[in-house]
Amino acid sequence: MSRLVGRDVARVEGRAKVTGAARYAADQPVAGVLRGFLVLSTVARGEVTRIDTGEARGGPGVVAVYTHRDMPRLAVPEGFYVKGFLPMQDARVYHNGQPVALVVAETFEQARDAAARVRVEYRAETPVTALADAAGQAYLPPPFHGEPNEVIRGDTGAALAAAPVRLDVEYRAPAHHHNPIEPHATTAVWDDGRLTVYESAQGVNATRQMLAAALGVPPANVRVISEYLGGGFGAKGLVWPHTLLNAAVAREIGRPVRTVLTRAQMYTSNGHRAEFHQRLRIGATRRGVLTGIEHTSTAQLSRTDQSVFNSSIATHTLYACPNVHVRQLGADLDLPTSSFMRSPELAAQFGLETALDELSHRTGVDPVDLRLRNHADAGPGKHLAECYRMGAAEFGWRRRERRPGATRDGDEYVGWGMATETHTYGNFEASARVTVGTDGRVQVAVATQEIGTGTYTVLSQVAADAVGVPLDRVTTRIGDTDLPPAGLSVASSTMPSVIPSVDRAGQDARAAVIRLAVADSRSPLHGVPPERVVTDRGRLVDSADPSRSDTYRAVVGRHGRAVPATAAVRNTPGHTYGAVFVEVRVHHRYGRVRVTRVVGAYDPGRVLNRRTLRGQVIGGVTWGIGYALTEHTVVDRATGRVVNPNLSTYLVPVNADAPPSVTALFVDQPDPGSAAMGAKGFGETPMTGVPAAIGNAIFHATGRRLREVPFTQDKLLL
Amino acid sequence: MSEEEPVPVRRRTVLKVATAAGTAAAAGAAVPVTGAAEGATAPAATVPPTVPAGASVEITLSVNGARRRVAVEPRVTLLDALRDRIGLTGTKKGCDRGECGACTVLADGERIKSCLTLAVMRQGSRITTVEGLARGDDLHPVQAAFIRHDAFQCGGCTPGQIMSAVACIAEGHDGSDDEVREWMSGNLCRCAAYQNIVAAVRDAGREMRG
Amino acid sequence: MRAFGYTAPADPATAVRLAAQPGTTYVAGGTDLLNLMRDGAEDHEHLVDINRLDLAAVTADDAGLHVGGLARMRQVAEDRRVRTGFPVLSQALLASASPQVRIMASIGGNLLQRTRCGYFRDPGSACNKRVPGSGCPAVEGQNRMHAVLGGSPHCIATHPSDLAVALLALDAVVRVLGPDGARQIPVGELYREPGDTPHLENTLRPGELITAVDVPGGPLAQRSRYRKLRDRATFEFAVVSVAAAVHLRGGRVRDVRLAFGGIGTRPWRSPEAEDALRGRALTAVAVAEAGRALVRGAQPRQHNAFKVELVQRALTGALHEWGALR
Repeated sequence: MSRLVGRDVARVEGRAKVTGAARYAADQPVAGVLRGFLVLSTVARGEVTRIDTGEARGGPGVVAVYTHRDMPRLAVPEGFYVKGFLPMQDARVYHNGQPVALVVAETFEQARDAAARVRVEYRAETPVTALADAAGQAYLPPPFHGEPNEVIRGDTGAALAAAPVRLDVEYRAPAHHHNPIEPHATTAVWDDGRLTVYESAQGVNATRQMLAAALGVPPANVRVISEYLGGGFGAKGLVWPHTLLNAAVAREIGRPVRTVLTRAQMYTSNGHRAEFHQRLRIGATRRGVLTGIEHTSTAQLSRTDQSVFNSSIATHTLYACPNVHVRQLGADLDLPTSSFMRSPELAAQFGLETALDELSHRTGVDPVDLRLRNHADAGPGKHLAECYRMGAAEFGWRRRERRPGATRDGDEYVGWGMATETHTYGNFEASARVTVGTDGRVQVAVATQEIGTGTYTVLSQVAADAVGVPLDRVTTRIGDTDLPPAGLSVASSTMPSVIPSVDRAGQDARAAVIRLAVADSRSPLHGVPPERVVTDRGRLVDSADPSRSDTYRAVVGRHGRAVPATAAVRNTPGHTYGAVFVEVRVHHRYGRVRVTRVVGAYDPGRVLNRRTLRGQVIGGVTWGIGYALTEHTVVDRATGRVVNPNLSTYLVPVNADAPPSVTALFVDQPDPGSAAMGAKGFGETPMTGVPAAIGNAIFHATGRRLREVPFTQDKLLL
Repeated sequence: MSEEEPVPVRRRTVLKVATAAGTAAAAGAAVPVTGAAEGATAPAATVPPTVPAGASVEITLSVNGARRRVAVEPRVTLLDALRDRIGLTGTKKGCDRGECGACTVLADGERIKSCLTLAVMRQGSRITTVEGLARGDDLHPVQAAFIRHDAFQCGGCTPGQIMSAVACIAEGHDGSDDEVREWMSGNLCRCAAYQNIVAAVRDAGREMRG
Repeated sequence: MRAFGYTAPADPATAVRLAAQPGTTYVAGGTDLLNLMRDGAEDHEHLVDINRLDLAAVTADDAGLHVGGLARMRQVAEDRRVRTGFPVLSQALLASASPQVRIMASIGGNLLQRTRCGYFRDPGSACNKRVPGSGCPAVEGQNRMHAVLGGSPHCIATHPSDLAVALLALDAVVRVLGPDGARQIPVGELYREPGDTPHLENTLRPGELITAVDVPGGPLAQRSRYRKLRDRATFEFAVVSVAAAVHLRGGRVRDVRLAFGGIGTRPWRSPEAEDALRGRALTAVAVAEAGRALVRGAQPRQHNAFKVELVQRALTGALHEWGALR
């Protein structure tokens, strides 16, 4: 019985978040906690030749200053740690902004002051910090987590040679940073060889594993707690050096230590979306049917890791094209290792969806029609064609003026553009425990995370329906490795990974309580066949004789102890789809672009909570605006230092940048392949097409095709 | 010395007093120093109270209606005083540079970024943080509207958004969606719940005006 | 940020006496100073908190507007006399910073805020302004937001104040109080070009305090406007900006003041552009000539050449949008 799932349910943790009661990692009160502050390198390549910590150590309140000379030796953990090396284990410097010292003091102010007094000298080598300076050095990296970096289908070379319409275009994107509002924060508390870490983590168990491996302690002795995250977007999905170093020095000192990264430090400490260049060669018929796609990209890699995070998977999965050749190259630069960042397919998708718009213009085939002509059937779980239809109808797409530059409203050109959105969501093993207490309340326990997407709320909905109680009787506990284990909250995997287990555990708990009731001579349900008992809003009722009923509170209360049920149901990864339609206005004189109207239509499988789902749409759209129009990590080419490590010159969109109107439509058909009540992993879908749609709309508005983001006004001085 | 004056206090340990004195001397003897010991000899009318470098000073703030005395070095921001000294962690540190707005509080009824002001500069001020808005179980209309309109996701910027919204409404800058968009743009929301924030501010504003 | 001392004097004379000491500076709003100190771009041993001084009044008389150095940005922006008699000031202030910062930041502090050049704000980078002689990475480096006018091989950082641009257009005068007494400095003489000494940004002497800004009123001030272009919709420093005051009579430009932000190493007044317009009918041709006069001598770098074009468009657009240009 489903009463709550699918509804527009308000967030159950809303009150905690609007009153300041929600405790984020740096908010946890810890008695006697010391404050750590990192000193970061000021060269990009070379080695530390001398560190003078004398003045820092002499500072008021300073407890310790660690450098590579005396930092405890740690093992480089594998799996959820991707840097390939641990800083402060030797003198080598692999990127600017790499930790070279860690100061610990009684107060934050003292630690920061002392950190500024650590004098570091380097033997610096000339770094290479931009893809443009690494031409010819790109190579094909080994497969990434089993995913090959080269995919070949058919004979693309022959297809391109034979194609009546050919396109050969290049697109570029700079690096971007996640910039969650909450900075990374880690607090390590040791107690007799056991470690508790309060962490801003998208994966408490991953963090536990990496800490255990690095520190050489059994995972069972490490507890990681992350009740709330002030945003992650991938930055907190993997584990980064400061967490490991902070725990190591806390063990040495014998007191709790808390290190919170500064905003500037976050630009070299937790990954980023790598600088990305791509070339697309496309062959098609004059009707716009794709015959060949060659997609060659180069992503920035680091000197110490070869992971390619900017996936081009959509190029060979999204459209029905018989001949595809995808190569995801990389070039090692003297920059920090990159990472996942919200919608990692976006960088490549920007190229693919812009190229299709260029093909559309070349062939004269409407962009929606062109995509429909190349639609790839993928079974009953894919409703992309319906997304095109719904979105186009809502947007009024069919009224679109064909000619670019033909619509002007006052001082602005008006353009409409669209793109396909698609995301590959992950899946992690997850177990969950649902417990019915003697007070009739239900507790959900699973070591997953709340990153703002609505984990607390949706899990509570699922459990309430599974057990048959009102929402306010459910408490969900997450973000603690003491709870039944679950995976990372990345790749939009949280809901599809965790819900099957919560649902099953909830049903099992319900069944267990029913069994108790019918076996209990004190229950009005005594002797009723269990399958006849239904549950509804906290009551257990004999469906054959509704006058016979009991309550969870009474049944479990008489039982005298809580009734738990644990389940671990594995789901599978998959794909989500959507179509996004965008209206932009471009100032005729200044070239400034405004996104004024957006319609997105999506296939997220079954809708579990319309409200939180819509939240991901408005968020993804504005992230797409940031990618397309404003965001840009500026790296000094000579030194590899980030020149804008802040939020005033790295331009995250503000409220006034967000489109006044965003409409989110959902097909809302359960995916038969999903064990999560038919829901797919959705959160990162509604960003993947937005930058291309904006660029395509700019072309429609002005006739000018932009192939490098951000589309700032200087590129549109018409 | 009136209650409105900051009261210099010595550091708690002998070591720190010695360090502080040394720093003060290095900083230049011309800086007038008034402390518990020297106060009697300083002409109070012309020489204002000075906190020497390295020393702490006890200040009084009215925080959410409660009088709080807190000892801070002059370099401690209001934000860090609230979070680290007073233990009110509802106010968030997002950038510590005035660029995100997560630390927005009301000082004497006006919205400010608490990372950009020193606690000692706010001696005697009335500070309202997100913890001070609700009356018992009754949420402030802005808080309730934020839940109703789903005007947040991760919640990291939310305390600052809410304090800014309370002021935005009090200032009368909630007359249209566009006006709210402009006057709430000092508060970044990386989850980008912006449309819902605008709706919540407008709704709460209408409710508060009756 | 080091441990610094702190004094909050109640009278200007004491404040000036304290601030004249080495290693000492003033704090008013603190909105820029605290970041400069956190970043390590500035280092002060002692702060003199001037918020207790009685310097926050805004008054108006026949001579014009008198804005106390401690008046807050919002207070000035929302003042009815400013909005009607000096709209460029109100518009420039409202286009600055965020609502919270406008409540906190003082007028004096706004004028003395320092460049947002990323190299200047980063002690891990060279910067002649921060460490004289260390070099200027911006000249050959990331300079999209840097100046095209008034630069030198040693510095091309822009001055970030919108207010200063507006005040410059109105021939405002800054009143200061220092250890040697009070004096007046026209806003046009307050800022220095970097030349060989980019660390010297203004003509204030040690300990001098901005006590007020006097702004002449009149038809020019009343017909003044501010137009700011930026990459984000709001809450950002100018890519380019224009403060313009135009007094038309009989279809001709009787008098005009043009100042620009985002393009110069200091708030940029262009007498050449003004001369190109004065006495002429305000036609597209005349404005285009003024724009060319403005950027004559511009020295664009690798990433900021667009500013040369954009600022001319901003000038044209500004005059056009305000109905001065047909």
